[in-house]
This record gives sequence, structure tokens and C-alpha cells, in this order.
Amino acid sequence: MTSKLTKALEFSNYRLTLNIQQNALRSKVQTLLSYSTNGGTFEISQMLISFVQTLITQGHSKAVLLDVYNNPVEIVGLDDFLDEILSRYFEATNEYHAEYSKIKKSRKVHKLVDLELDDNSK
Amino acid sequence: MTTPSKGILIFAHNNEEIDYLKLATINAYYIKENLGIDNITVVTNQFSYDYNLDEMGYDFIHNAISNIIITSKDKAFKNINRRSYKDTSHKSTSLPFYNIDRCDAYDLSPYDETILIDADYLIMSDSLNQCWGHDNELMMNWNYEDIMSERNDESLKRLSPVGITMYWATVVYFKKSNYAQQFFNTVRHVRDNTQYYQELYRWPGGLYRNDYSFSVAAHMLSGFVEKGVPQLPVPALYKTFDTDDVHSSPEKNELLFYLEKPKSLGDFMLCRWRGIDIHVMNKWAINRVSKELLSHVI
Repeated sequence: MTSKLTKALEFSNYRLTLNIQQNALRSKVQTLLSYSTNGGTFEISQMLISFVQTLITQGHSKAVLLDVYNNPVEIVGLDDFLDEILSRYFEATNEYHAEYSKIKKSRKVHKLVDLELDDNSK
Repeated sequence: MTTPSKGILIFAHNNEEIDYLKLATINAYYIKENLGIDNITVVTNQFSYDYNLDEMGYDFIHNAISNIIITSKDKAFKNINRRSYKDTSHKSTSLPFYNIDRCDAYDLSPYDETILIDADYLIMSDSLNQCWGHDNELMMNWNYEDIMSERNDESLKRLSPVGITMYWATVVYFKKSNYAQQFFNTVRHVRDNTQYYQELYRWPGGLYRNDYSFSVAAHMLSGFVEKGVPQLPVPALYKTFDTDDVHSSPEKNELLFYLEKPKSLGDFMLCRWRGIDIHVMNKWAINRVSKELLSHVI
């Protein structure tokens, strides 16, 4: 182990490292939940999914949705759009859950950052 | 109807210590891998290109970069525009910061749609693919996030404490259009009249930064309204600073960072960064892990 790494680990505060790793994870999930199509960009949220499902339930096959820029974007084929955002939502949240659970169980700084070290070193 | 061409544009002019063209080449391999884009143009100068031909070889460069544009350097600007480059808080070096030609991006880009990025903005995901075919003709971010959220530098949010919002020229999407052309012409106008605009917009110091001229151009072209140019379709631009360091690149699209603790200079926290594009401002740090970075994509 390099002296610089040892020093970093010595100074590492578990809670702070935990926060940094959780923020990094959230950033990744936010990125995965951004979806661009037809010249617009949508944040895949539970609200968007429910709204699109409502439109489909009411018999609509196309609709104009407001994207994150508040631009109107025409979505033709709401069924396909819903499939796509649901698939991305599951992918992002499943990854989030798996990584979050791993972080939550990590009780040492080097485990939080997935470093293979002797557990007695910190 | 033909499909609009799309590509990445990077400016890379070496100075005495920083090999920007090498950084651009490493990044180009990541762009090909993660964005699936082969159209990569790098604007450099003859000296930087010849140096890298000797150091890295023709194939290494040209297997990654599809188009190299050689421009001549403005030597007077090179000698005047110097900045302090840090390799953590332990080492600071004053070096030329050659960034005068970024406003030429519109004219130099051979693509209908272009994403202009800094050589040290490492592409570790496919998120920028969301830009292609977008309704917005020009996008760049004012929202940035330091990956160590405990650090909060207010001076990076505005050109001056009471000034306009600062946009980051680190990543700019544009498509060939009158609006984008007008924007880059305005950036050039600001660059050519730096002293006037610096007095008007009150940005600090004597260094010419594209972040300033792009911010002023965005403000002017938005009818002098704040945040008039839309942001990129990504949640934020993630950054580390030149006071941070890189420990390693353990896997593809992963970096293990040393992040300098706030109020405790020279002491570091660790952060494992996975699968998100990241601006790594410590150029020496990228160079130290360059072999590792390349081993995942070549």
C-alpha cells in the first residue's frame, strides 16, 4: 500500500466517504433516468410513467408531452414510449438498489470504495 | 434525406508540461468505446502533433482520432495567457494556457452536429448521445457539481459576485444553424474585445477563459436574460479539481479519486467514480494513470 493511500485512509472519515459514494451513486442514477427522444429530453419519474399510463388507459396512442426544457414534444406511439421508460426505470433503480445495499453493508472506508485491503488495516 | 453527420471536437494544444494531445487521444478511445462515435476531430498545432508522433506513434493517434486539424499558434497570446496549473496543492506551475481558438469551433467542425469537449472531460458513459437530433441548437451547462459535495466554491457560479451566471465551455453541443453560428461569432467578438467585456462583466484576473466569453455570449444572445441557453440533457457536469488526484483506474469507466478535504489542504478522501463522464482538472493525474485507462479500451 502506498504511503499516500495509507495517509488518505487515515484521514478518511467513514461518514464523509459514505456521503461521497452515495452522491456518486445518485448522480449515476439521475444520469440513467434521463431519456432523450424526438428532439426532447425527459426525466424518467414515477409521475411521467403514471401520466403516460393514464393517457394510454384513456385510449390515446399519441400525445404532446412537455420535456425538461418545457418544450412540447410529440410522442407518436405512447405504448412504445412507456415500454422504453419503464425498462430504463427498472434498469436504473435495480442498479441503484444493488449498489446502495452494497454500500450500506460496508463498514470500512476501503470497502465503501471497493478497495481490496486487509480488514485490519483500517 | 441524408442523415446529419455527428461528431466530437476537441482542442488540444500542448504546453511545456501538459500533453493535451495525449489526453485527447486517450479520451478519443473512450469516446469510441462509450459513445460509439468514430467521427472525432482534434484541433492541434504542428509542434504538439510532431511531439506525439514521436512519443506515441502514428497508429496510436490515428486509430482513435479520425480527423486532425493543424492550426498555427498565436505566439503573443501564448506568452501572455498563463495560468497556474496544480498537481494537487503540493505542486503549482505557471504555464501557457492556449485556448484562444475555441471560438473557431463552429467553422472548424466538419459535422452537422458537434459536441465540443475539453480534452480532460473523460467520456465514461453514453449519456452525451442524448444530444444528437435534439431540438435545441445549442446547449451547454451552468450547472456543475463537484463530486465532493462538501466543497462549495461560490466564485465558480458567477463571473463576479454580482455578475451573470457562469456557463462552462467544457462541453458544448451545437448544430450547424444560424443561431449557433451567431453564438460563436459573438464569442469571438468577446475574445477580440476582452478588456471591454471584462470591465463590463467584471470577471476577475487577467486570464482569458472560454468560460467567461461563452457566458457573456450566452447572456447577450439570450436578450441579456439569465440562463437563456439551455443546458445539456445530462443532470450536471461533474468535476474534480486540480487539487485532487487519481489513485487508479481499477476497471473500465472507473476512477478512484483522492479528493482534497475542504479546509485541510493536502489531506484526501477517497471516491470511486463509476460510469459517469467526469472533468478531471489535474492533467498530471490523468497522465499517471494513462496506461491503466488505455488498458481497458485498447
